[in-house]
Amino acid sequence: MDININNKKTSVTSTNLQELAQEMNLPEKGVAIAISNQMIPRTEWANTPIAEGADVVIIKAACGG
Amino acid sequence: MLQFISHYTEQYSYLDSIRLALEGGCRWIQLRMKDASDEEVRPIALEALHLCRNVGATFIIDDRVELVKELGADGVHLGKNDMPISKARQMLGSSFIIGGTANTFEDVKAHHEASANYIGCGPFRFTSTKKNLSPVLGLDGYRHIVKQMKDANIQLPIVAIGGITAEDIPAIMQTGVTGIALSGTILHAENPIEEMKKIINITKP
Repeated sequence: MDININNKKTSVTSTNLQELAQEMNLPEKGVAIAISNQMIPRTEWANTPIAEGADVVIIKAACGG
Repeated sequence: MLQFISHYTEQYSYLDSIRLALEGGCRWIQLRMKDASDEEVRPIALEALHLCRNVGATFIIDDRVELVKELGADGVHLGKNDMPISKARQMLGSSFIIGGTANTFEDVKAHHEASANYIGCGPFRFTSTKKNLSPVLGLDGYRHIVKQMKDANIQLPIVAIGGITAEDIPAIMQTGVTGIALSGTILHAENPIEEMKKIINITKP
């Protein structure tokens, strides 16, 4: 299914944020995720479903530009 | 997406302000104590980190790169006169979020190249909480910067900041920014917790 990650259409297979974090290979630390403009605590990722067209923002620490 | 920047008034301390923001449902906190020493900030930062961890909120500290590393906060926000982002990245490695303040697209681009993870872009309008202010952006300023970011394929989250009130938020979100950073408007409300709840509702699509 297609969702928007940081305003970019992205095809994913995950059905919740926890799976998405794994699918995107997000690190354990230095990550914040918002869905529909709401920041979601890591502890709630597994209980937060994502649907077709979801607007997801990922703030992720990374070395590269 | 809402970031609350700690602030104090006669009525509320820095920690009070963070408690109120969290209670109102905000899950992204920046501790900003510009004129304090690291020694003054450390105990407050520790307590704020604890409060944030309890509810899973992301906790960022303004300016103090070493303290962020020492305490294990989620990241640091760097203003224009703080440590350069590239140097902070060298010190923090790849597991800390770094945010940078931008006033122009050129700033955004430079921060992106220096490995910033989000942008605090402003000021939206004149504000008394910040000294040495850059020119105000207004709605057109954000539209312009968002478009330039798109054209340059820069996908960093961008948060509008600077004198923003609840009434401004729908129009600002329409410009294409990712989120809003708030400080004064929450604490000056009659009921800061309710004000935060109200604002979070406004940002929902």
